[in-house]
Amino acid sequence: MNFKRKETLTAYGFLLPNLLGLTVFVFVPMVYAFYVSLHDWNALSPKVFIGFDNYKKLAEDKDWWQSVYRTFIFTIIYVPLLVGSSLFFAVVMNNIKKKFEGLARTLFLLPFAITSVISAVIWMFLYDPRNGFINQLLDLLGIPTQQFLGSTSQAMIAIIIVILWINLGYNMMIFLAAIKEIPTDYYEAAQIDGATGWRAFWNITLPLLRPTTIFILIVTTIGSFQVFDQIMVMTKGGPANSTMVSVLYIYKQAFEFLNMGYASALAVVLFLIIFVLSLTQLRMYSDKD
Amino acid sequence: MKIWKSLLIFSIVLILIVQAGCSSSKSSSGDGDSNGVVTLKFWDFHSEAEKKFFQDLVKEYNTSHKDQVKIEYTAFNQSDYTTTKLPVAFANEEGPDIFMVSPGDFTKYAQSGIMADLNSYFPEGAKEDFLPASLEAVTYQDKVLALPYELELLGLYYNKKMLADKGVEVPKTWDELQAAAKKLTTDKVAGLVLPTDKGPYLNFIWYPFLWQQGGNVLNEDGTKSTFTSPEVVKALDYWGSFFKDGSAPSKLQYGPWDASNIGTGSAAMTILGTWAVPVLENQFKDVEIGLAPIPTPAGGKAATDAGGWKMAVNSKSKNVKEAAKFIMWCFAEDSSRPLKWATEIKFAYSPRQSVIKEGEKIYGEGLRKVFTEEIYDSAIPEPRYGPEVVDAVGEAMQKVMFGKVKGEDAAKEADKKIEEALKKK
Repeated sequence: MNFKRKETLTAYGFLLPNLLGLTVFVFVPMVYAFYVSLHDWNALSPKVFIGFDNYKKLAEDKDWWQSVYRTFIFTIIYVPLLVGSSLFFAVVMNNIKKKFEGLARTLFLLPFAITSVISAVIWMFLYDPRNGFINQLLDLLGIPTQQFLGSTSQAMIAIIIVILWINLGYNMMIFLAAIKEIPTDYYEAAQIDGATGWRAFWNITLPLLRPTTIFILIVTTIGSFQVFDQIMVMTKGGPANSTMVSVLYIYKQAFEFLNMGYASALAVVLFLIIFVLSLTQLRMYSDKD
Repeated sequence: MKIWKSLLIFSIVLILIVQAGCSSSKSSSGDGDSNGVVTLKFWDFHSEAEKKFFQDLVKEYNTSHKDQVKIEYTAFNQSDYTTTKLPVAFANEEGPDIFMVSPGDFTKYAQSGIMADLNSYFPEGAKEDFLPASLEAVTYQDKVLALPYELELLGLYYNKKMLADKGVEVPKTWDELQAAAKKLTTDKVAGLVLPTDKGPYLNFIWYPFLWQQGGNVLNEDGTKSTFTSPEVVKALDYWGSFFKDGSAPSKLQYGPWDASNIGTGSAAMTILGTWAVPVLENQFKDVEIGLAPIPTPAGGKAATDAGGWKMAVNSKSKNVKEAAKFIMWCFAEDSSRPLKWATEIKFAYSPRQSVIKEGEKIYGEGLRKVFTEEIYDSAIPEPRYGPEVVDAVGEAMQKVMFGKVKGEDAAKEADKKIEEALKKK
């Protein structure tokens, strides 16, 4: 056995525990979910094989496609907001005095350290129409009381703000780390050529952050298609279904209606949607390289 | 190559171990141990004093049936209990021998045959003691599938001082309730607190408004939707009006079932069940709270829900008989235990006539008197529709509450979904 071979083997050896975990907890359940999706099953009585009937049913399920549409809307608003604001704060953070940087970083990361359910509950108090802090603030400014989570038009935005607040710090840290990797020589050279401030950012920082940006974009898009816990806590999909996103709808089918087979079919379709979307994203960005 | 092979074998063995680890517990649950003691799993969702009540029951039973039965009691939080804990456990055939079921879940479990027939386990004469309607509510295809142990009725609770300050009389009709809620609403106080989130509880509070006019969700034998009837439309529009004019808040800080809404003074009126009485008496002694029947529409008759949990036995349990014996011992034999539950631990009505008679004095105290004298007779058991029907009704309600949709249109759409759900069964 030559050296190279030995090295590969060691690598696989180290990967094995993780791979096993993935197999048992991710791949097997995924295949099983597909298997279940071909059955009519309420979790309590035996499964009945029905072929692709669940898929036929979901193609015509208006509520499901509406939930997919809402997930898209959520993603389209949330992802650019998150990427834009975390990049903005990373640049700001990079330029403030070292003395304050540690403190500021901690403050930004703090929401990320709070359990998602707890942060959702905190925001429910802030959003409360009668005693909530935000409405009291608006009151001082002479703006009438807003319903926020109780309004069909505001609930989704209100939730996006909460999730943004949670994830901003973490993504900012990734950007910040990438910015710090950029050699200062580039900026010095640019300075000699007369490019500073905005131009330096546009022509040096941004292009060099490309891989990081792509990474964050894809991960956040996948994440936003899986958004669930905060919405479950804050609105349960209401009012009047205005925040009923795909995963919540799957949950409803599975654990409220006990349509396990149908819910599994929905999950498979959602997986395909996310898969295709991530693939296109990856293609789109890497083509230019 | 040799290493490759051994690696492969190693990983296969590991997978097998993991698999075995997952399933080995199955064989150990349920059967008795070597000296003939039957072990029963009892899963509950109650908390605090109510949890302690059941814990004490289990302790007492275990002591008196030493060497025969050992019951293991576990309590979960309520929302996990119904949505994930029970279905997942049953799916893996590791469900508890004894569990609690609400009208909202009853049909789901009944259709899957997960509940054992209790008919033969009732002690002599016990069945006759139960209110016929309460047994009817747990009967499915001539089988009694659960044991009712409480009836919770709904009423209109109001803050006496707030009403007096604004010169508002206690509302008796729909119009009066609407006017009162509007008049009592301020920046800090909600005129009338009603549930806002979708779920069985939302429907539970709404049904009386439908029944008062003689309407219903399904026809009598539960085979057809009657959801496009004018009574449904009227009840939907009426319910929606409170949210449209802002006299009912569209988001709540406490749960809608929480007496804190009215106890803390953040609501002037609310519709709540019997369970609120002890809370208001103990935690909010200083606030003067009044109670009245739910206001009725012109030409309608009084109606209220009789909700409440039931105890059931897992039909797949190896010890159905022992489990059934235990729940009968809890609530169908001696009257002291049901009486303690319904009068000391919480306030509810026992489905047993003898127990109510025995507790006559307590049922006439304070707010309880209003329930006993003015509300009890109008009680209709909470319907046990399947989850899809419950969801369709809830969706129609949400639409009139938040969606600027007319009751008529919301009812039509729900009607289609209900018909579809009924066809499936």
